[in-house]
Amino acid sequence: MTRATRRQFLQGAAGTTLALPLFESLAAGKDTMSRPRQRMAIYYIPMGVVRKGFFPGEEETLLPKFNGATTKAIGIERSVGTKAFEHLTPTQEPLKPIKNKVSFISGLDRTYKQGTDVHAQCGSCFLSSATMESVTESAFPLDRTFDHIIADSIGSQTPFRTLTLSCNSHQDNKESIHFDNISWYGTGHVTPSIRDVRQAYRRLFGTQAQGDFRDITDLVLEDAKELQRDLNKRDQDKFEEYFDGIRSLEIQIERLEGMRDEIKAADIDLPADALLPRGEYIRTMGDIMVTALQTGLTNVATLMIGPERWNTPYLFDSLFDKPMSHHTMTHAPHKFVNELLQIDKFYMQQYVYICQRMDSIIEFDGSTLLDNTIFTYGSGLGDGTTHQFNDLPIVMAGGQQLGVKQGQHTHVPDKTPLANLFLTQAQLLGIELDAFADSTTTISDMKR
Amino acid sequence: MKLMKPQAIITAITILTAGLFNVGLQGSDTISFLKTTCVNCHQGDEAAGNLNFAQFRNPKDLLAQPQLLLDILTAIDTSLMPPQDSDRLPKDSRQSAVKNFRELLHAAIQVSPPAKPVPIRRMTRFQYSNAVRDLFGLKIVVFTLPEQMVREYGNYYQPSTGKMPDVVTVGNRPLGKSQLIEPRLTGVTPYPQDLRAEHGFDNQADQLSMSPLLLQQFMELSRSILHAPNFNNKTVGVWNEVFAVPETEISEWDGSIANRLKMILTLAFREEVSETTVKRFAEYARTLIDSGADFTTAMKNTVAAILASPRFFYLHDHADPQFTIASRLSFFLWGSIPDQALLASAEKNELTTTAILESHVDRMLLDRKSKRFCDSFPRQWLQLDNIISSAPDPEIYHQFYFARYNTSMHMAIEPLLLFETVLIEDKSILQFIHSDFSYRSATLKTWYAKADKIQHSGPGTLKFERVPIMDMRQGGMITNTAIMTMTSASDHTKPITRGAWFAATILHSPPKPPPADVPTIDRKANAADENLTIREQLAIHRDNASCAGCHKTIDPLGFALENFDPVGQWREQYENGKPVNASGILYNQHAFDGIVQLKSALLTEQERFAYAFSEHLLSFALGRRTTYRDTISLEQVVKQAGQNNYQIKTVIKNLVLSPAFLQVGQAPVGNQLSIKGSASD
Repeated sequence: MTRATRRQFLQGAAGTTLALPLFESLAAGKDTMSRPRQRMAIYYIPMGVVRKGFFPGEEETLLPKFNGATTKAIGIERSVGTKAFEHLTPTQEPLKPIKNKVSFISGLDRTYKQGTDVHAQCGSCFLSSATMESVTESAFPLDRTFDHIIADSIGSQTPFRTLTLSCNSHQDNKESIHFDNISWYGTGHVTPSIRDVRQAYRRLFGTQAQGDFRDITDLVLEDAKELQRDLNKRDQDKFEEYFDGIRSLEIQIERLEGMRDEIKAADIDLPADALLPRGEYIRTMGDIMVTALQTGLTNVATLMIGPERWNTPYLFDSLFDKPMSHHTMTHAPHKFVNELLQIDKFYMQQYVYICQRMDSIIEFDGSTLLDNTIFTYGSGLGDGTTHQFNDLPIVMAGGQQLGVKQGQHTHVPDKTPLANLFLTQAQLLGIELDAFADSTTTISDMKR
Repeated sequence: MKLMKPQAIITAITILTAGLFNVGLQGSDTISFLKTTCVNCHQGDEAAGNLNFAQFRNPKDLLAQPQLLLDILTAIDTSLMPPQDSDRLPKDSRQSAVKNFRELLHAAIQVSPPAKPVPIRRMTRFQYSNAVRDLFGLKIVVFTLPEQMVREYGNYYQPSTGKMPDVVTVGNRPLGKSQLIEPRLTGVTPYPQDLRAEHGFDNQADQLSMSPLLLQQFMELSRSILHAPNFNNKTVGVWNEVFAVPETEISEWDGSIANRLKMILTLAFREEVSETTVKRFAEYARTLIDSGADFTTAMKNTVAAILASPRFFYLHDHADPQFTIASRLSFFLWGSIPDQALLASAEKNELTTTAILESHVDRMLLDRKSKRFCDSFPRQWLQLDNIISSAPDPEIYHQFYFARYNTSMHMAIEPLLLFETVLIEDKSILQFIHSDFSYRSATLKTWYAKADKIQHSGPGTLKFERVPIMDMRQGGMITNTAIMTMTSASDHTKPITRGAWFAATILHSPPKPPPADVPTIDRKANAADENLTIREQLAIHRDNASCAGCHKTIDPLGFALENFDPVGQWREQYENGKPVNASGILYNQHAFDGIVQLKSALLTEQERFAYAFSEHLLSFALGRRTTYRDTISLEQVVKQAGQNNYQIKTVIKNLVLSPAFLQVGQAPVGNQLSIKGSASD
């Protein structure tokens, strides 16, 4: 099938043009935009943190002994309220150069629902919009995640509604999908994530990949026509759904092709190697994410730095002499406290790298990409050893153009759900949302 | 309707009049029955239940109402009508009325418009996963699916032995610890699970639709499967036959490519593929090789295109009905594509021969692939997914929770192992009402015994043992802890939910939804009510005529189970000290006091359960709801199976041989007319 006939085909059977969503070239869009687009991104770290390195005032608390299901949560009494973010703990030290562009929020909790593995639930449900009772078909309280809820509003005009990236390069299938994904379209419907830097590059910036896809489209459309001939009238009507789907895919490709100039102008090259040392791998994925946000390929991105649990060891970018398993070490914190603190700091450093990359990109109104993006660092566990779901490590960067107040440390009252943070972010992004998951209210101190 | 030849028209008219003549006698009997017994209440504008029978003057009027005939037949047969308070119908009058209405119904079916064929639909992810696995002879799974609840360890499922081992090791995929971790294709993500249709299954054709997002997933899925790092000569059974470089000269590769693709295409598309189709894909492979791809990569990309084709992932009626039957059979018993043997029979037009069909059913049930049937049908038939969200009050039932897991993990396995055993050992389906054995873990044994300390095990792999059941309160599908727990709230039982489950699952008679203005039960309404049992509180169901219509039949079934508390353990009384009243009446004929007597009553009404079970099975097999037209097929199945003690394989076999199963398009396979029993046969 030639390009021309595909065009005819896409126009529908009777030659009538389909009511396609209006595609605007981004260049045209820019002229009519009054301010830069608003974006949202998530940086998720697995296995929580070692509290004494991350949380101020807990330097002297005893390391927990791992006891499995009965290990007590740890933390200290803190006074509720907001103050300037002055003191940086060792794990927070890398934030120093961007201190005035980030905030630290402590005391946020999630609820654990009995019936699944803690690691599986803490990661897969971190962004979940479900309340504890609302999901009946799965043991996980998991429903459409925050990134999709945001994208439903701010992702409809970009070629990719969301960008789901992961730095899990393990090939050994040690865990199931609940350990390995934070983005879900809905209950049981995982968003496939891209783990390979070259694949991510090609999907976003390469037109070669689209070409491959088009070859298959030709073949399957021929098959579809053959099948259609065998069907009765009723089935032919139902089978139209298939052709509608193909048309949608073609539209997506066309949008991308229309952005070729912008993409060419973007300062990014195809990564040379697929296998990279861990830090470089995370930074490369971060670069890809930043460029995608910058060029308008997407407005919503999630980056899962590593899977929950999954004992396969890493070198962590030569932090260690031999490969070490993060999860295994959290079960013996007394023996590995130094290594664990190194990992925590390492992950924070990569987060800061991405923040600084975002901050170096100037938008057309003089603000930076970071100013227009709410970029959150967090984990579903408050401590990797106790596996506690409360008092989570959360840092939020950017978004000052959206009305986010930065440079502060807010401690929220007891039992404040993490969902309150996401609800606040949604409202700052201009989305009319009254509740998200088990949210109770917004965190007003976050807003200007 | 297609234009019929004159000969055929004459034949048809002969049938019609012959049919009418035959029903002349019964027809007038049914009319007089309605007049004498029913019309008092069922006439005029205020007709009871909105059913005005006075409008039917002669049998011809009734012939046009097959659904109504079925409803009337059922009501009389189950003694629902005439209502209890009017004069009781003598037994022989009832039996003769049932006979007459049944024959009139059969005649009405013959002249009713033909059934609409089951529409084209995409595969569920369960079917897709099995199909891909079988297509490539994969030694690992495509993706792990929580809906395949019972995970098999040690290959205990060996249907060819005819025996289930006494001890089996299993895992509970959705509820157990790490049971979703198994060798699988790296980087392949499943699309979402299709939810069950109302009172039905997830494979119902009219519910399975496509969306652009889903289509994109199918396209990407096809590529990710073929390009998975562990899709290689170690994991792919057909590697040498399809993907490995041929031994021949490069110049002779084209022939090899065409042969290999023809083989895969035939299996993947489940029918004979044209030379044009083979050529199209072969040319694609050739293009890839010419532009520098190595042989294996070229074949992978070409086969990916085959998986991305709608002819693979859509289920549909084929141009040749033989292939439609072949697919129908394999998706019924294996949840997957037909194998070479089945396709070969289809190619030879053999699938209309009873003996050949039977031999296929036999061998398919002896194949380990029948585990897919066990992974799919019983869980949905029993609505067992409801156990996933069961959350008994931790204050009252704290032993339900251990480590971070729930005892429901054990509970759900018991009925599923019972089903697998009945199938493997070809036992009677009556074992589903009461079984003389079960499979239980140590946890369940202590649970049923109401031990002070429950013996917890797991939460990963679980050991289940065969145990004899002596106590008729246990055994079968109805009274196990899984069903009892999932039909309860956190601190009280829900007898109406249980009754509705019972009616739907065991009797295939699900109640209609309640009217919109029913008030909820306010359990703390007033002090006096606190002393009432739930049965007493629900007395309004009896007293209010518009409630009684449905609740007359649902409530007794639920109340019969009130001796089982919210976690399935036996109780003689409630917390307030009042004794449980589990009495009732079944079909207005069998008075019972407690579940044991109800089970006994059900066992005397075996044909009804067999009919209900067969009806569920047929709906699963065909991917559509049953209609009045299926009555003839279902009656045949029950009759034949009854001659063999309702052994499950006999039920299944007769279902496959029934007209309902073998009907393709608007006519049965091998029959040109839409009316059965033509003189030209």
